[in-house]
Amino acid sequence: MSKQPNFFYNIEQSALITFIGIILLFSGAVLITLIAPSQLDPTWTEPTNSYQVQMHEVSDPNLYISSAGALAGLSERQYVYHLKQGYTLLAFQETELTRITASPELQKYITKVEDSNLKLTSRLLLLRTPKIGSEAEKNAEELRKNLQKSWESEQKPAFTILELYDPKQEEAFAVASGDTTIENWVDKEFTLSDDAGQHEYHKDVGVIYVKNPHEYRITRGVFGQEKEWHYDPNGAPVQTLDQLKSHELAFRSRAELISLGEHIVAIEGCWYCHTDQTRTLVQDVVLNGSDSFPAPPSSASEYIYQKITFPGTRRIGPDLSRVAVKRPSRDWHKSHFWSPKTASKGSIMPSFRHFFDDDPRGTSDIHPGIPNYKFEAVFQYLMTKGTRITPPTQAWWLGKDPVKTKEIIEGRKTLQ
Amino acid sequence: MNNQPAAIEHHHLPIKIMLYPAMLFMLVGMFVGVFMAFNAFIFPDYFAGEYIHFGRIRPVHVWHVLLLWLVSANIGLFYYMVPRLCGRPLWSPNLAYISAAFWWFSLIIGTYSYPTGTNSGWEYAELPLWVGWIPIKLMFVISWLIFAFNIFMTILNRNYQKMYVSLWYVMGVLIWASFTIPVGFFAINWVSQGISRVNTSFFYVHNLVGLIFTPMGLAIAYYFLPKLSNIPIYSHRMSMIGFWSIAFLYAWIGVHHIIHGPVSQWLQTVSIIFSIWLFIPVWTVVGNLFATLEKNWHKYSESAAIRFIMLGNAFYLVTCIQGPLMALRNVNEITSKTDWIISHSHIALYGTFSFFAFAGIYQVIPVITKNSLWSKKLADWHFALNLWGSLLFFFPLLIGGFLQGMMWATWADGGSYAEFHNNFANLSFLHTTAEMRPWWILRGIGGLVILSSGIIFVVNIFNTIILKSEVALREQLA
Repeated sequence: MSKQPNFFYNIEQSALITFIGIILLFSGAVLITLIAPSQLDPTWTEPTNSYQVQMHEVSDPNLYISSAGALAGLSERQYVYHLKQGYTLLAFQETELTRITASPELQKYITKVEDSNLKLTSRLLLLRTPKIGSEAEKNAEELRKNLQKSWESEQKPAFTILELYDPKQEEAFAVASGDTTIENWVDKEFTLSDDAGQHEYHKDVGVIYVKNPHEYRITRGVFGQEKEWHYDPNGAPVQTLDQLKSHELAFRSRAELISLGEHIVAIEGCWYCHTDQTRTLVQDVVLNGSDSFPAPPSSASEYIYQKITFPGTRRIGPDLSRVAVKRPSRDWHKSHFWSPKTASKGSIMPSFRHFFDDDPRGTSDIHPGIPNYKFEAVFQYLMTKGTRITPPTQAWWLGKDPVKTKEIIEGRKTLQ
Repeated sequence: MNNQPAAIEHHHLPIKIMLYPAMLFMLVGMFVGVFMAFNAFIFPDYFAGEYIHFGRIRPVHVWHVLLLWLVSANIGLFYYMVPRLCGRPLWSPNLAYISAAFWWFSLIIGTYSYPTGTNSGWEYAELPLWVGWIPIKLMFVISWLIFAFNIFMTILNRNYQKMYVSLWYVMGVLIWASFTIPVGFFAINWVSQGISRVNTSFFYVHNLVGLIFTPMGLAIAYYFLPKLSNIPIYSHRMSMIGFWSIAFLYAWIGVHHIIHGPVSQWLQTVSIIFSIWLFIPVWTVVGNLFATLEKNWHKYSESAAIRFIMLGNAFYLVTCIQGPLMALRNVNEITSKTDWIISHSHIALYGTFSFFAFAGIYQVIPVITKNSLWSKKLADWHFALNLWGSLLFFFPLLIGGFLQGMMWATWADGGSYAEFHNNFANLSFLHTTAEMRPWWILRGIGGLVILSSGIIFVVNIFNTIILKSEVALREQLA
């Protein structure tokens, strides 16, 4: 074969056709199976609902969690909301037994017992027990007397009276009432005060809000040889985010924990045995379903906030895509990670004792049962699974699933 | 091929530095596999701990047997086969050394880092971007590109006009892999989060199997079967049909890994259609290889290497009948996510392509060491134990996986959710796992048999390299 200066000349026809043919066929496949779907199917890139978006973008980055706090050596888990003026939506809601007193200027932010609409504000206000000797305390006493007078039965309940006040801060850290897996959500019968609407999410069909926040304060102490700190309404307030995230208090935002949890799922290889998809099969919606309702099949839009997605190819252990609904208990997960074989009989799952600093059953004298940040991260990751596919008011475990899984599987039409 | 000039000086060192370590890593990988079969399934979590539980060890097994063994061995065989098919020495042995240095360095560090928690979370692409300050992924890709360039230049500057079918496959591998590996390793992080990445991941996963392992293995089978048996391949045209249909079909079918999953239905249907068409390349390959030996079956009993190619061919038929059928929605409903899948992947990557590589090594080692095989008897044992070990490994998992899938399907018996849920209450998920234990025990025993056959193989080959053969010794003594 004669040598030519240009080596392309040396490629004779069959090699050239091979080369071009391979590239043409391959790029056709790439175009249709790799590039086209995310352009054609909006569920691949768009979120399912506003609740999912707000959970990931509003709630997760602003809820801080720590297990470093301890009182008398006993670990206390802490959930602290980072409130921002003009951003976080707050509700101050009375119940029969918990009433709120406020200066006339702040009265309009209180949702009274008889109010049908929930009042939300983005003005940064907080609740506290009225200070002894203050104007608020006098008002509170008066209110308490009136309430007890109007109570008909002989036994008078102890009313809790809180004071609504303006801390005049741009941001604050607060404890609040609510489930920490499924946040407070309202999508009908609510009014935003005039100051709200500064942020895009305030204008959504429904909103996540923080209910009855109290300023987060801590007290430091000593237990035996150990320094410790714990939540104390009369302690010193936590001033800055840096302090909250310091080595001592060790708070991490739920967003950080979920992302870390995703990383831990990857490195521990959880995904080799646990799938993360409820397939469009009756057995899958039954496997992941609650006692009364089948789990809706997974849709592509559930995964858009995950850097790594673990659909899985083998189901040695059960599926995880609805685990937050099937197994919401933190204690269950604690005992299960410590010893799967005893926590669920017949399991072949390995134990994950490196998620704990000490035995969670409390056999250690010093720190009974402290799961470390790895456990918290995996737990928070798992708690996103199945709880964010609809707003809580439309939740499938309440039988309100818009996908109508139950009707479909009982009629045996195709699940999609 | 017949008029090969005797004067060509082929380079043997590139072959050796790929093949020798590969065989040792195969043993390590098999050992890790057997360890898992016992420690994760038969006596679950007997040796427990952060660094040795199943999730951390599994990628160590997979990366040993897939990359450190199979691809490395195939690269070594390419260094042997391609220059001989081109009638010229390897284009640049120096590039081969550089490529091998990058290859072993990145793969060994990457693979052994998994227990410390570096798994990146994507199947078959677990390699971390960094281990410490070492850019593992990049080094691996560079190593592959150097190898591909080297082989490509060898083919471009070949001395034989006509390209044998193996060279077509080789060129296919070079092009496909050089695209697929960067996609699976890097581009996956550039597409939007969620299912787009899953789709890209499965595109990569299936191309790795279909456009890298398959054509590598077939190139080797097509080259070494005629070499070992001294019979020309039955039909060049059939092999061309096989090649082009593989080129046409494989890139489309990645999504069949998540049928019934959260991906668009039309994309699932596309992947199913193309999966079914895979019958074409498979049957041409299988038919071609069997037909080659058709009139000379006595050769089957004469050489363990030929037996390996033929048994590998039979397993290829099995795995490629399974593959398309498993893509059908109703079959997938039962087999998907069960041990059937584990069996399927082992039939393809061990039963077929590793067997082809064994055959290649049996042919190559005597040539490059200029020693005849140390013991033919050990080679026979290697084959026999592999046959029985494989049957013990593959078929229990197939049956067990199928039964587990059928048990899961019983949850769907009935007409109302109350009935479904009642089925599930009576047969919990853990029950179906417990039912798998006998099959897992058989798999573990099969694994042990395969491991012992691997030890025999490695001992035999390294004795060939280091010692003189039995035959030569006897001649010396006589």
